[in-house]
Amino acid sequence: MVALARKTLVYEWRRFLPAILAVGFASLLQLLQAALVLGIFGSASVYITGSSADLWAGYPGTQSVNLGRPISEDVAMRLRMDPDVMKVEPFRWVDADWRGSRDTGGVSVFVSGIDVHPDGMMFARALPPALRARLNEPGAVIVDKADLDSLGVDIGESAVINGQRVRVVGVSSGLRALGGVNIVASLETARMLDLSHDDAGMMTYFIAKVRHGVKPKLVANRLNGSNAFGPYTVWTAKAFARESSLYWMFDTGAGAGVLFLAGIVFLVGSVITSQTLIAAVIGSIREYATLNALGVGRGSLRKVVMEQAFWVGALGLMCSIVIGLILLVIARNRSVPMDLNPLTTIVCLALSMALAIVSGLAAVRTLRRADPASLLR
Amino acid sequence: MSMSTLASTSSPGTPALQASSVRKSFVSGRIESTVLHDLTLDVHAGELTLISGPSGCGKSTLLAILSGLQPADGGAVRALGHELSGMSTRALESFRLQHTGFVFQGFNLFPALTALEQVELPLSYMGLAKDVVRKRAAESLEEVGLGPRMRLLPAELSGGEKQRVAIARALAKQPELLFADEPTSALDAANGQIVIDILHRIARAHGTTVLCVSHDPRLVHHADRVLAMEDGRILSDHVPPAASAPSPLPGESLPPARSGA
Repeated sequence: MVALARKTLVYEWRRFLPAILAVGFASLLQLLQAALVLGIFGSASVYITGSSADLWAGYPGTQSVNLGRPISEDVAMRLRMDPDVMKVEPFRWVDADWRGSRDTGGVSVFVSGIDVHPDGMMFARALPPALRARLNEPGAVIVDKADLDSLGVDIGESAVINGQRVRVVGVSSGLRALGGVNIVASLETARMLDLSHDDAGMMTYFIAKVRHGVKPKLVANRLNGSNAFGPYTVWTAKAFARESSLYWMFDTGAGAGVLFLAGIVFLVGSVITSQTLIAAVIGSIREYATLNALGVGRGSLRKVVMEQAFWVGALGLMCSIVIGLILLVIARNRSVPMDLNPLTTIVCLALSMALAIVSGLAAVRTLRRADPASLLR
Repeated sequence: MSMSTLASTSSPGTPALQASSVRKSFVSGRIESTVLHDLTLDVHAGELTLISGPSGCGKSTLLAILSGLQPADGGAVRALGHELSGMSTRALESFRLQHTGFVFQGFNLFPALTALEQVELPLSYMGLAKDVVRKRAAESLEEVGLGPRMRLLPAELSGGEKQRVAIARALAKQPELLFADEPTSALDAANGQIVIDILHRIARAHGTTVLCVSHDPRLVHHADRVLAMEDGRILSDHVPPAASAPSPLPGESLPPARSGA
């Protein structure tokens, strides 16, 4: 079979370039938008994803990790009683006000009080053991290096949290959170910074690790059975992270914005692509009509146009993948919160291919004008 | 050449195309203009039949109806024994694929394809094996004298060469019926003469029924039969005096390609 679609695409690449670029840009925009949304709203759950715990126990009905309320120490007991729970660790959350050494005004911060043992689970993925050990010093805090500017401090400098003096003993990456700056301290330092005295002895969460090979979901379901140890809910880390990200996405209205933008991108992309493909069909309409006169069926001609649409889509996707990868690497090096998982990538690419196919279907309709009788003049 | 085998289905004397009381009119706005008035016509197999007449006389419409590109409003059309009038679009496409070739005034070649691919393209839809397609396409191009230029794109060919590619495209299908609409009007004298000779030879050598619509007077001497049309009717039907002695044939193969048509 003569590869009419491909040869025309190569020979008349200038004609098809706008369509390829439209698909490419639409795909790139969808990918980057998804990566940004996942990155930004994923950072709402950095407390969970940066830690190695399998289970989170917190106040019932907590919608996002930053909305925790104090729970009873007895809950830790309940967790330890479960045969599949290997280790339990407290996590204290303190809403606080930061004043840096430089003039920054007040900055709203979240102080994470964590267990500083080398095998501690909180922020196990963000804090190397040596850095973690520095938190043993009273009043020591660690911040994300991208937050140094907004906090108005440098490493080794002092600042004031809730009226108490603290010192930045180090920086890390992967600690950036949403809604406020994340400050990591030891449990003792966090307790010192907590102004609400009525629940001074109470933790916000208890996190736990389950026995290797046991499904966290099963353990969580089992633990949620009773309230005998005070009110609490146990989530798997995955579910709680998801819940936190979704809360932010919909609380801020960003979710609807993302869908709206995706719709606009799809619309604009398909208008450009279909117009380009239609122009290409019209450009060859006399040749298509001649083929039809010679007995090549309309179905076969449609296939040629659809094949062109497919190749336009494939080339566009390839462009977007290459450019997208480059931009992701740049973003990562510059601490721009971007995150992309395979499923989202496939969905974005599939949407863009659908755009090309829909445009192809629009162009196929133009083939009706390929009337061989019109060639007789 | 293997092309003559198909000609056996239509022996000389039997009409390859029959039109009886064919009527066609077009409506533009409120005005209905009749293009063909109850036209009856037999086109004999293996002949080069020329329909000539002033523009607007309905000759192209007649060609469109006889070739199954357009339905008639009334009357019956039989081609190679098939009744075209009642056929579905798909059946007509299939009929055209199997039995007909077309040459138009414009060459209508895909700019991206070489001469060889232009000819292979319709063949590849006929369900032929790949090597048969290649062989037939190459033979057709050889026959119209484009053997050495079959790897060139339309942009690299002259107007006359492009029309020869278009003829080869129609010829390679080995059709029993070949329809040509003003095949020479976009060409200069020399290239027009080459195209006329090829059409003539197709009818002679392959026994193909060639129906040609043209007002080119050079064609008259090459036709076996000339029909003069005016206002949707056939005015005269005669055999031109020079039909039996056509202009000297260029031999088995045509002169090599010339540029500047």
